[in-house]
Amino acid sequence: MKRETAKQILIHLALISAAIICVYPLSRIFTVSIRPGDRVISTDLALIPDGATFLSYMKLLKETYFLRWLFNSLVITVTTSMIGVSLASTAAYAFSRFNFFGKKSAMIMLLSTQMIPAGMLILPLFLMIMKMNLMNTYLGMIIAYSVSSLPFSIWILKGYYDTIPKSLEEAAMVDGTGYVGAFWRVILPLSAPALSIAFLFNFTSAWNEYLVARVVLFSSKQYTWTLGLFELQGQFITQWGMFAAGSMLVTIPVLLVFLYSSKWLVSGLTLGSVKG
Amino acid sequence: MNDIIFSLLQVFGFVALIAVSVGIIELYLWSHFRYHDKNSIFFTSVFSFTFLALLFMNIGGLLSIKNFVIFMFWEIFLIYTSKKLIKGKNYLPYLLAAPAFLGLLALLLYPFLFQIYLSFHDLKLTTIMQWKQLGTIPFVGLKQYISVFTVPPLAEAGFFKLLFRTLLWTFVNIFFHVLGGFILALLLSELKIFRGIYRTLLVVPWAMPQVVAVLALRGEFHSQYGFINVMIKKAIESFPWLASIGVGPVNWLSDYPLLTCILINVWLGIPFMTVIILGGLQSISKSYYDAASIDGATYFQKLKYITLPLIKPVLMPAVTLGTVWTFNNINVIYLVTGQSGGTEQADILVSALYKAAFTYNRYSYSAAFAMVIFLILFMISISYSKMFEEKNTDKGAA
Repeated sequence: MKRETAKQILIHLALISAAIICVYPLSRIFTVSIRPGDRVISTDLALIPDGATFLSYMKLLKETYFLRWLFNSLVITVTTSMIGVSLASTAAYAFSRFNFFGKKSAMIMLLSTQMIPAGMLILPLFLMIMKMNLMNTYLGMIIAYSVSSLPFSIWILKGYYDTIPKSLEEAAMVDGTGYVGAFWRVILPLSAPALSIAFLFNFTSAWNEYLVARVVLFSSKQYTWTLGLFELQGQFITQWGMFAAGSMLVTIPVLLVFLYSSKWLVSGLTLGSVKG
Repeated sequence: MNDIIFSLLQVFGFVALIAVSVGIIELYLWSHFRYHDKNSIFFTSVFSFTFLALLFMNIGGLLSIKNFVIFMFWEIFLIYTSKKLIKGKNYLPYLLAAPAFLGLLALLLYPFLFQIYLSFHDLKLTTIMQWKQLGTIPFVGLKQYISVFTVPPLAEAGFFKLLFRTLLWTFVNIFFHVLGGFILALLLSELKIFRGIYRTLLVVPWAMPQVVAVLALRGEFHSQYGFINVMIKKAIESFPWLASIGVGPVNWLSDYPLLTCILINVWLGIPFMTVIILGGLQSISKSYYDAASIDGATYFQKLKYITLPLIKPVLMPAVTLGTVWTFNNINVIYLVTGQSGGTEQADILVSALYKAAFTYNRYSYSAAFAMVIFLILFMISISYSKMFEEKNTDKGAA
């Protein structure tokens, strides 16, 4: 028994040190964000510094376009997620409930799009957006983002629809509605959890995106928050405080959403491959 | 304020446009599928949609004999396929899947084909105005592909050096991701209390927005104020003998950029593997371990003969995905070294591609470069799936 206790204590010690390594950078950002302006850069390592203040947050909101950046990101992200989820919800229903010519090859095509690295298509997308005169607009970003999460969303939603028993739709159809009515009245309301997970996945991947935004947006008013933070961190070292404050403000909600949804995301990632 | 309203109107207009065009496409496909056997109604629908197509081409300035001929060929193709395909079957799935697949076609397949087209032509800063106005670029054949292997994409490293660095980067990262994830998952699964709390804390690197995580960590590698060098200095202050054996502050970002990127990416990637492996471990039935204990197996024997084989089906897809992600990881390297004047010593293939395209504006060259990277990745994933198949048949035989 004593040996077992010692083992548990050792495991706790190992995990505590791992957890500290994982959380430490976040706590450092917090520390920097509440440092007083004249000591933003310092070799001090205390969690709550002397003379802690929210000055950096005030400065961030007043002197930069931070709120505008958040607004830009929000418009772009919500629109892409809505387009992505609505397209995926019907396509996934087709894959879940019907057998049709070309189904298998379409599924394989969906999976193989995951093999095309996203970074590879930035160049042609950039040139297309330039040709359509949509540089530096929300619309250009939305077009570039809207289908990137589509295959994955279809995949999760199909998996979820598969778990809904067919008898429910059949009951609805006996009551006199067609497939479309059954889909609209029975399947969609029942799959609200899966739809929200697909929405969250679309949302976070577009919300955190950086590389496409870097080449499409070029005036600092149109920036998404990722570009804005990069700019704050890159320009002058004096803006570390504001960078940290901005990071805290974006990270906290993202962290909460992620912790809430991670369980489903992981099962979505492994579902297709395990059940093959 | 005006520009916000303008942009929002543009977005609303776009959403409305998508809704309307999805409606028209659905109506178009539906009328072809529904009435493929009733000649009179069918031809009415074909004629009305041909009229609509002409109208839209005229509005969009696309009306030309070439486009009209393409549309006619498409009509014939659709009529023929709807006769063959639909006969007595349900056409609803095609209608349901059409919008999503049209979207993928327009924004995934078309860019991909456009990339291939670019790679055989010569689009660069001097020809881009011509392309924007006239839509033509000079054809150069395989020249871009040859220069991928002979001309370095950036100022320094050539293709093969970048390829070697990429393979090294991928291998080292995946190795430590799996090792770290495996150790943490084993520790977590042995735990009696507080498992949920540790799990939550350990996924923080994965959950944070990557941009924030990488930029914050890059700050910690700063030569003067970063956490790591501060700790090294403190250690030297308390143990002066460390300095005499050569320990001292390191210029991480300028002297060892690749190592810095690898350390950051290992930190970022371990949580994902931990969660996946933990899921696999929890699905293994306890009775295997009990049976092995009765037979007197040691801890490591159990690990080797029970745990490893049983988590393989979960681990292998995760490793494949992780390999592709790591191979394609532009984010970490670009965010660490991407500013003007940043180093090129840490660049792997994809980040060099990104910089060549958008820092040096070598569009066609980058397109050819991207195609070469795609082929390499394609071969890697094929060899992975071959490996799986062999493993699976082995298991089936045993």
